Amino acid sequence: MYRIRFHGRGGQGMKTASRLLGTALFKSGLEVQDAPKYGAERRGAPMLAFVRADRRPIHERGTVVSPDLVLVADETLFQVPVAGVMAGVKASTVLAIASQKPENVWRDRLKIDSPIYVLPQSEAADDEIPDVSALIAGAAARLTGLVSQEVLRQAVEEEIAPYGPKAVAFNLRAAGEGFGAMAAGEGSVGESLDQGADSYDKPDWIDLDLDLAATAAPNVYAAANSVLVRTGLWRTLRPVLDPENCGKCVWVCGSSCPDGVIGVDANGYPDIDYQHCKGCMICVVQCPRHAFAAIPEQDAAEAAQAAQMAQMEGTAS
Amino acid sequence: MTESQFKAARDLPSNHLLGSGTAMCAGCGGLGAVREVYDVLGENTIFINAAGCMTLLSVYPFTPFRGSWLYTAMASAPAGAQGVRDALDIRLAQGTLTKDEDLQVVVLTGDGSAGGMGLSATSAAIDRQLDFIYLCYDNEGYGNTGQQTSAATPHGARTATDPQAGGLPGRKKDLFAIWTANRPAYAATALAAEPLDLARKIETARDLTGPRLILTLAPCPTGWGFEPARSVEIGRLAVRTGIFPLKEYIDGRVVHNRIPHPRLPVEDYLKTQQRFAHLFEPRRDEKRIGEIQAAVDAYWQEVEENNA
Ligand SMILES: Cc1ncc(C[n+]2csc(CCOP(=O)(O)OP(=O)(O)O)c2C)c(N)n1
Ligand code: SF4
Ligand SMILES: [Mg+2]
Repeated sequence: MYRIRFHGRGGQGMKTASRLLGTALFKSGLEVQDAPKYGAERRGAPMLAFVRADRRPIHERGTVVSPDLVLVADETLFQVPVAGVMAGVKASTVLAIASQKPENVWRDRLKIDSPIYVLPQSEAADDEIPDVSALIAGAAARLTGLVSQEVLRQAVEEEIAPYGPKAVAFNLRAAGEGFGAMAAGEGSVGESLDQGADSYDKPDWIDLDLDLAATAAPNVYAAANSVLVRTGLWRTLRPVLDPENCGKCVWVCGSSCPDGVIGVDANGYPDIDYQHCKGCMICVVQCPRHAFAAIPEQDAAEAAQAAQMAQMEGTAS
Repeated sequence: MTESQFKAARDLPSNHLLGSGTAMCAGCGGLGAVREVYDVLGENTIFINAAGCMTLLSVYPFTPFRGSWLYTAMASAPAGAQGVRDALDIRLAQGTLTKDEDLQVVVLTGDGSAGGMGLSATSAAIDRQLDFIYLCYDNEGYGNTGQQTSAATPHGARTATDPQAGGLPGRKKDLFAIWTANRPAYAATALAAEPLDLARKIETARDLTGPRLILTLAPCPTGWGFEPARSVEIGRLAVRTGIFPLKEYIDGRVVHNRIPHPRLPVEDYLKTQQRFAHLFEPRRDEKRIGEIQAAVDAYWQEVEENNA
């Protein structure tokens, strides 16, 4: 059986990618399951989708825990533990990452021997989560070596048809691009054996002592405990204030933020709670003085880290 | 009536009661309204939530609220509110709850519930003069399940269930008119993009008793198809094009508290959203754009005649 997992953010089209690949594999004569998996999270939130394909009936259910192929539409997800991109990845698992960084950078970062393919990605427009469903599906199809370009084309036409001819044309092009880019890895994904229910490691029993509810679950009874959920992980762009331009009219940006994550700091400047800011960029657009810049999350996180390091070195010496 | 606590935008609350970390989409116009309503009503508020996007606010074990929240089926939030109000009244009468501890009972509902399945229970609650606020966030569709057509979907909009060339052939149901025809204690339209207007209306509603409607237009990036950053701008365009009139029903009269002058053409609003894209591409659908403009023009003409 082939087990394939797609990782992306809500809005990037990974549900569609799994559907496109599933349909292509089905048309190629395999039994197929394809399904998305996400919680209540929305656009921008990490999500995954998966495909199982086999020449025999598939009895396995649930999420793919031991993948043969993992496709990653958004490279920032590697730093997000809840995204679980590397979960169950073994030495034979093929990885395909949409990224502008070359293969050796990823090998170095991930410290694994698995085959890694990089899917060159054009720079996304700043204000958009790019839909890369067909690109990723095309790459997956080539890596499995099970789907011809003609069948891939049929699958895209069939699945995208309801969205109109323009969408079909765009996705056909993208699927072809993904398929073409993975020529070197054609058929590199292998099958792994069926896992019967008895082959799973049984979890050990954990004995939980009975505690008073007040100490065992204080967070459950706390007011506004939703702050424990870090919706900042949804963000692909970060609003960053330039105090030079800010007029301290905090009620303007503050009351435009649907999530209420803009407070006021001791000096009267807006203070964004990045743990929870979802990156909608309303404040960036609404600020009359254009005091907020929208910085790609990756760059902003690296810059913040560097600043922190510099500060630590400063205090150490 | 006492003077408003909100004289200018700078008086708007800067510390927010509603916890962050909710599952609403980035840029959700509905969440913006709920957040502000909660700020103005305060902690002593209980929400009775009809199934919809906002039921994901409070998914066990997490809640953004500082007090109770009750989840009901789509059709029965006003019935739930009746039960809660009755229980509070009984405890007030028993003396086991003080006046200070009493709660403001708020139904939180989407437009799908409000204009469809929930209408019967709402009508009955108004008949009984239930003392509650009915807060509807109108994203003009069944948002939580993928933007299918609801009773509040506007003419010409494309939805998951009306994907055909012209979009929805029908027209938006007028929930405000249905409410005011039944002489409630208060009714108002508002939206998060006009926070000062919204705060004042909540304040007015808060200090009245009986059935009170707050109908907010909730720009929905996911269902309407626009970049989250434009959420507030699109809400304002709905007002400036006259598509979404800001008004209040109080003491038996409807007052328009913002008459857009000049009124922008409706296409300035329609063009911002994917759900109306078919009106402009591959070629302009003059007929439908004209129909939408004509309906807006007729509305405001009637307002002017009534005011004259
Ligand atoms: C009786 C019933 N039918 C269908 C559903 C499925 N459902 C859950 S939320 C929802 C959409 C509700 O639309 P609306 O009231 O406008 O709220 P929104 O999702 O837009 O926030 C539907 C159809 C349900 N919960 N109950
Ligand atoms: S679908 Fe629309 S209304 Fe629902 S949470 Fe998302 S933005 Fe808000
Ligand atoms: Mg709705």
